[in-house]
Amino acid sequence: MADLENKSRRDFLSFAGKAGLTTLVAQAVGINLGVVDIVRAQTGKRGVEPFRFAIISDAHLYSIDNHKFDEQLIAAVSQVNAMNPKPDFVLFGGDVAQNGTEDQLVKGKKILSALEMPMKVIPGEHDWYLDMGEAWRGLFGDETWSFDHKGVHFIGLNSILVRDFWTGAGLSPKERMTVMEMLESPIPGPWGVHEKQLEWLANDVKNLAPDTPIVVFTHSPLWDYYPRWNFQTSDAPEIREILAKFENVMSYHGHVHQTLYNRIGNMSSVAAMSTSWPWPYPPVALAYPETQMNRADPSIATDGQGTQVIDLSGDFEGLVQYKPFEDSLTPFMQDGFKV
Amino acid sequence: MIAASKKTRQLVSIMAAGSAVAVASAALARAPFTEQELEQQMDSLYAAAQQGYDIWHGSLPSTTTNGLACANCHPDTAASNPQTFPKYMTMYGKVVPWQEMVNWCIENPQLGTRLDPNSDEMTAMKAYAMYLHRGKPIEPGLASRQTTPVVVEFGTGFKREPTGLGVDTREYQP
Ligand SMILES: [Fe+2]
Ligand SMILES: [Fe+2]
Repeated sequence: MADLENKSRRDFLSFAGKAGLTTLVAQAVGINLGVVDIVRAQTGKRGVEPFRFAIISDAHLYSIDNHKFDEQLIAAVSQVNAMNPKPDFVLFGGDVAQNGTEDQLVKGKKILSALEMPMKVIPGEHDWYLDMGEAWRGLFGDETWSFDHKGVHFIGLNSILVRDFWTGAGLSPKERMTVMEMLESPIPGPWGVHEKQLEWLANDVKNLAPDTPIVVFTHSPLWDYYPRWNFQTSDAPEIREILAKFENVMSYHGHVHQTLYNRIGNMSSVAAMSTSWPWPYPPVALAYPETQMNRADPSIATDGQGTQVIDLSGDFEGLVQYKPFEDSLTPFMQDGFKV
Repeated sequence: MIAASKKTRQLVSIMAAGSAVAVASAALARAPFTEQELEQQMDSLYAAAQQGYDIWHGSLPSTTTNGLACANCHPDTAASNPQTFPKYMTMYGKVVPWQEMVNWCIENPQLGTRLDPNSDEMTAMKAYAMYLHRGKPIEPGLASRQTTPVVVEFGTGFKREPTGLGVDTREYQP
């Protein structure tokens, strides 16, 4: 049972990270690190010991009992547990709740606790704006984090921060939440990670060598896709600037509820399918239209939804595979693609 | 019924003949609408779009029992494809109008109670969806393609009283 508050699991992640970085040394001197199977692992020239991780995202749980979205998140958890080989851990991409209420967040945590591997979580706008993240933090911990795993540096950021539109207008927490729940809300404007997290990020990567493999995880994409729906992060240019020194940065994100790939400079960007409903592709041209999924068939309730798994090689190459609940992928996407 | 449709056909042919005469003589039955009248007509359309927008975002409790509304899957009416109807829908096994597709979504994904296709509420939803697809080519029958609405820069996409909050306060420009 994965439990975020379970200290031994958190220790596992950080220990495994250290182990990954020092695997070569350990092998050379014949030390058995215990947690990591160093006999099997082949560390590549980028110092990564190959492994896989899975992403589940955008569950949008309602307070209603036995809601179909509960079943869909349960299906995603079963799908990830059944993956072979098993992912080392799972990243959850935000929007576990629909209206940000504590009961919805608790329900999400309970369903996700059936995962047989550790999990790290970042918030989405649906989780946050009823109580400004208070319940979420109580359940899932810090929203800004980093850890090392088998030679890869993972970073999680809270990308859904907006400027205060509610205090001056005298909006109640519920009204603030309702404004934020609408994808095409005319009120809040673009969101981002804001100054404090930019400082944190700069500090976090300050001492890392340029050949360090970096994975950055946010709710919204780190590029301007369709700002109208907050398919963007306003300070993404600053984030990319801070990460510009690295040879290869992988960005994974939720929020867009669709398959999607993009690349800017040293950063590849991959979106997660949701477990709740698919968003349409917005009215803009894509640089890589071949990574779009089929139009979801509305008569199939779980079409256009699913999970995803990423295999990282020793050279820090990623094989991205979407695992839809239904047959939602074009032939191009069937066997995954390399990032 | 047969008599009625025959009568309708006759009426249509009389009207056609009448309009041909009007064009020929360059005489209009009525003076063009004034600017003010045109504005009032458009304001009526925007009011309908506003009502449709509200229903789209869940203001009509009868249309849902599981909390879902049109906007869950169709932000800015995207992928509602109003300009492609009537078209064949697999769940009906026949060609249906857009209103029927809306009712299908109300009854199935939303587990709600269908609307009268001729109700003001349904017309309002169509006004909203059609306004956000203005200028898009009318392509009946394309069941398998997701089309896109117009790009909405800010606000709701149609003229209305600003809420006075955030980016919504920018002045409306069509
Ligand atoms: Fe979402
Ligand atoms: Fe989101």
